[in-house]
Amino acid sequence: MSVPASLKGGPFTPSVLVRKRYVSYYIFLIWVSMISAILELWVYWQILWNPIRPVHFYIFLPLLFFVMYLTMVFTSLVFSKLLLVIVNAFHKPRTGIFLRHPSDKDYRYWSLRNTIKRWPIYCSHKFPFPFLDNICFKMFGVKTTFANSLFEGWVDTEFIDFGREIVVGQASIVQSAVIMGNFLIIKKTIIGDNVRIGAHCVVMPGTQIGENCILGAGSFTTVEQVLEDGWIYIGTPAKKYKRNRFIEEDLEDKLEHTQNIDIEKTRMKYEENFFVRHDKHISLREKVKHRKEQLEEEHRRLANAS
Amino acid sequence: METGSTESENEQETVIKEEVNLQFHWYLFSFFMIYFGSLLIPGTIFILYSLFFFIPNVMGTRNFTSLFTELVPLLSLIFMPIIIIICYLLHLLFIALITRWFWNITEKKSPTKDGIIPRNIPSKLLNYYHIRAFMLKYPKYIFTKGLFPWLSNWFFNFVGSSKIGKGTTIEEQVCADKYIDVGTNSYIGVSSVLTSHLVDGIFGNINYFELKVGNNVTLASLNNFASGSNLGDNSFLMPWASGGKHYTVSGNSFYSGLPLRKIFKSKINEYLKIPQNLIIEEKEYRNDPNNLESLKKALCEYNDSQSDIMDENNSTITKIEKETKAQAVIIDSEIPEADDKTDFALDFATSSAISKVNIKFLVLYIPIIWLSGILVSIIWFDFTRNKPPIQADPISWIPIILLLPVAIFAMYMTFVFGCLFFTKLFLILVNLIHKPKEGVFKAEIGNSDFDFWCLRTELKKLPIFLTRNSPLPYLDACAFRWLGISMDFSSHLNDAWCDTEFIEMGRKVMVGQGSVIMSSMVVGKYLFIKKVIFDDYTVVGGQDTIAPGTIIGKDSVIGALSTTNYGQILEYGWIYFGIPCIKLKENKYAESKRDFIRKVDVDEEKKYEIEHEVNIDEDKKALLKI
Repeated sequence: MSVPASLKGGPFTPSVLVRKRYVSYYIFLIWVSMISAILELWVYWQILWNPIRPVHFYIFLPLLFFVMYLTMVFTSLVFSKLLLVIVNAFHKPRTGIFLRHPSDKDYRYWSLRNTIKRWPIYCSHKFPFPFLDNICFKMFGVKTTFANSLFEGWVDTEFIDFGREIVVGQASIVQSAVIMGNFLIIKKTIIGDNVRIGAHCVVMPGTQIGENCILGAGSFTTVEQVLEDGWIYIGTPAKKYKRNRFIEEDLEDKLEHTQNIDIEKTRMKYEENFFVRHDKHISLREKVKHRKEQLEEEHRRLANAS
Repeated sequence: METGSTESENEQETVIKEEVNLQFHWYLFSFFMIYFGSLLIPGTIFILYSLFFFIPNVMGTRNFTSLFTELVPLLSLIFMPIIIIICYLLHLLFIALITRWFWNITEKKSPTKDGIIPRNIPSKLLNYYHIRAFMLKYPKYIFTKGLFPWLSNWFFNFVGSSKIGKGTTIEEQVCADKYIDVGTNSYIGVSSVLTSHLVDGIFGNINYFELKVGNNVTLASLNNFASGSNLGDNSFLMPWASGGKHYTVSGNSFYSGLPLRKIFKSKINEYLKIPQNLIIEEKEYRNDPNNLESLKKALCEYNDSQSDIMDENNSTITKIEKETKAQAVIIDSEIPEADDKTDFALDFATSSAISKVNIKFLVLYIPIIWLSGILVSIIWFDFTRNKPPIQADPISWIPIILLLPVAIFAMYMTFVFGCLFFTKLFLILVNLIHKPKEGVFKAEIGNSDFDFWCLRTELKKLPIFLTRNSPLPYLDACAFRWLGISMDFSSHLNDAWCDTEFIEMGRKVMVGQGSVIMSSMVVGKYLFIKKVIFDDYTVVGGQDTIAPGTIIGKDSVIGALSTTNYGQILEYGWIYFGIPCIKLKENKYAESKRDFIRKVDVDEEKKYEIEHEVNIDEDKKALLKI
């Protein structure tokens, strides 16, 4: 599974900046984590730098960079948690409907909390291995286990409770705060065990998803919708479709044979045609001839088009 | 199709037909200029600081505590991250300056304007359109995926590629970089697509019209709007609410659905659970923005009442669960015997087999990163060896400082290819142990097919992550071909989530932004793996979901925001749309008229056609068949 070039996914902090001075918290966290990484580099240098025979220094350097990266992530997590604790002491985070205006205290503090959480999340998501994302979630108060796959989509970092064995599909969005018009709606989202959220889904704040549910691809739930245990929901907005019987045992044979036999035959035909074109045993002459034919056809198509 | 060919036979003598070549050399030239020009000064500052202050003072002190007790080492240590941040900001500034310079040059030669651009007639306009699109890619990624994404608004305004108002937040998305005009105080949610250019099929035209978004518009996530759309002030859209080309939304209301419709109080209450009095207060606030007090009071009352209910029900959330379970049991007995045929029919799509996080996969990453890293260290060692210290001989360091961007680029490329090479070695080994195969398996940790699928996915993640994030084109196509997706270099898979094996693509396939291509799907406890085949010249729209086993016939188009089903076969030459997608109409894009555009007005609920000039150079207008 690979993520598009221009998107990140993973734990999501909306980049709304109500006051420009919140960036100073962000820069402070960057500074602190870099200092810790530099101190590690110092220790390594003292141990291994030898201008006459630098081979040991250079061989272990990649490992050092990896360890420096991990230190940076953990330091930033610790310090951002500290800052969050201080900020939450000033104004406790709460759910509800708020005004999207700088005079609203909850809106300002929501934006401040997101800016503080931004740097540790950015750092941990830079690495393609998603282990660090789960640590981020746990530090910021989202109830989750390490068995959950929450990194292929965008998942908010507060007011969400996850059960076990949950998979959030690609390009899906699980929110606990949504901006609609002049309102900022923050509600607590609760997701039960063994839930699979399909691709391109949006789970609005306040949704409660029961156990063993499947949310089909391309659906969204409404605010405070309750999805019952063991059903498959599809649609915009999501409605019950059928019971989830895919959790029963020994269904492999049944599932293979519920497919339409005609589809298989036509598929074999397509497979043959397609396979020939990409077969590596074609001689170079045949390849060139085939390529010429393709280009001629394209020319013809363009001529027809105009 | 026959009538088309007889017409063109008569016109063969008069019309020039040329294949349009992409001006790759201009793209590479502009990319390297931007890259080197922006790294020169920040790189110099960073190296000078390191050599003169950091290494002698900090690395020179042998004692750990004296780092913090003596003034000079302490200051050098404290200022190092600050210097890094300043150099990074300078790097951003220079990128913006150089891009703006290039952009202005191209705008002077061929200014951006509205219209349908024909793709089969080579013109200066088309060339500059492509150059501008390529040129903006690398700077845009640096800004939007960088440390300070809040600066990307400034960047687009500065370069002149779009106009973004003050106070607007544009979250992560694939487009929203060229020729859009967003007002103040808007919020564009994550993964929306605001694109001002749209391609009609592989042989069709490019629709290029400015997309306007008004003030105080909020788009919750996953909204798509294409060229020529106009969202009025105070339009508030639900998730998935989208429109196509030329949709006019007059604003001052909530909208939802696909296709887009206005929604009123009862639906707003149903979807967003906002009580009626708040909706009314908010409407009054919109009419008179100075009148905040009554709205704030109503919100406070609502929030207090909700928190009272929450305090009461905090321990009774389990009570709600038990109630719904009880209801489910009652419904159970009402439903007749389970019908195996419909119950087990795969008429919906979910998501891929995403592997759970497991530390043991790290065991594979570390050797790959280490080995590629050693190659990089060798290059760096060679670059800096046998150099006297800078205090003794500063002149000899000047070539090093000037060539530093080249060295960084070479090291980065070595790292990428090293990772790719070692991953391929590991992959060959893993495939020898367990051959990948299609079918239906149990999606559990003990099942060997599932385990090995997860292992293969984790292995391939690192090189694909690196190649996709690099600014050079065709690098990700190389990686895909080597690691299991058989695709042609003329196809584009750039902005899609795709599984990393069992996918075959033909020639010139275009996969839209934010699409999801799955060749594996987990439903409940079962894992389905089946090959996805894209035939030549197909177009997959934006934000589509393609289930495993789909076969997309030649020349067909799947509209945006659609889904296919497991094993669905799409026929030659049709346009499909919907969840799940069904035939809509035949693919006649290449023959469509170019000087008419169809506009849709959402509030009045009507569609109409108006005439618009075709977007082409003056001297080539004669070539157009009218």
